[in-house]
Amino acid sequence: MTDLSEKMLIALVDGELDDVTRRRVEHAIAEDPALTRRLAMHRRLRDRLAVHYAPVADEAAPDRFTRLLDDAATVRPLHRPAARRWTHWATGGAIAASLLIGLAIGHRLPPADGPVDLRDGAMVAQGDLARALDTQLASAPDADALIRIGVSFQRQDGGWCRSFGGATVAGVACREGGQWRLQQLVPGDRSDLAYRQAASGDPRVADTVDRLIAGGAADATAERAARDQRWRP
Amino acid sequence: MAFESDLLALVPRLRRFAASLSRDRADADDLCQAALERALRSRDQWRPGTRLDSWMYRIVRNLWIDEGRARQRAAQTFVAEEAGAHVGHAGDRDVEAHMMLSDVDRAMQALPDEQREAIALVLVEGLSYKEAAAILGIPMGTLTSRLVRGRGALIEILGEAA
Repeated sequence: MTDLSEKMLIALVDGELDDVTRRRVEHAIAEDPALTRRLAMHRRLRDRLAVHYAPVADEAAPDRFTRLLDDAATVRPLHRPAARRWTHWATGGAIAASLLIGLAIGHRLPPADGPVDLRDGAMVAQGDLARALDTQLASAPDADALIRIGVSFQRQDGGWCRSFGGATVAGVACREGGQWRLQQLVPGDRSDLAYRQAASGDPRVADTVDRLIAGGAADATAERAARDQRWRP
Repeated sequence: MAFESDLLALVPRLRRFAASLSRDRADADDLCQAALERALRSRDQWRPGTRLDSWMYRIVRNLWIDEGRARQRAAQTFVAEEAGAHVGHAGDRDVEAHMMLSDVDRAMQALPDEQREAIALVLVEGLSYKEAAAILGIPMGTLTSRLVRGRGALIEILGEAA
């Protein structure tokens, strides 16, 4: 048995051969009883190992693992860098400002057509949300605005994305084909905790930002330049 | 939150991988825990959009290699400096632990590290050659050679010869 054919045999067992090669190897094996036995032996070995270790993956994870991950998930929003991204809200009277927003929201209901439309099977921003995404700057927040921009950033393909939060909805939208496509939409912060969440941001939104972001968040200059370029990459 | 729940979803596979590398199940879970802790500490190093499972397999594997080296050094120092004062005890425990292992565990442990990790990723975890080679940081040709040699050794030990 040469090393090459042993490799071929093993590659067959491991499902690594393309269709043409696989058929050729299977044909060669079928005509050679010694190879047929060797193939069966390799298949048995693979099965035996898989069967032996499979029960480990079926067991419930030890409590200490779940605790470790739970603790990390609970503790994280207090320590995570997301707080830095939402820093414009956290500084200088943001809590007071948010409370004012909360009061203002009580008197201004969202428009009947809502902040989101469905176009070509995708959720896109419309109305006040689209306007906020088009024009507002995270670096120059408008305390009276219904929708506040959390962070502006570019994703891997260079396209612009922005996280936003308001009384009704919060989430992340990315510029695609001249529209703001929603990457995520979660309920807004219309709760007793509104003023606290305004400072930290919804952790789910922060996670989406983490997943999409390439590099860091845009600074004030880059954000302004991007807006003036109508968010073209 | 997504990061932690993604990690939690990977735990069964990571435990299985750790079990196929380690000498017993207790060691395997310690290894797994150390890997989760390291992942949480260095989460900034994981690039979103890349595969979390490959990243985690790599962390488990690297910790296992580091531990193996540390254990080897400790064993050498231990025997040389204390002239076997506690060797009897440790030896008994080793024999006992060894007896509780199945044939497959014993056969896996008999493999050199670089063959064991290749076998674990491809035969136990079911990864493709490409994925396994990337995790181990070796060329595909090297991986397949190790798979051939590792399988040969396992077949000999387990008496699976045709």
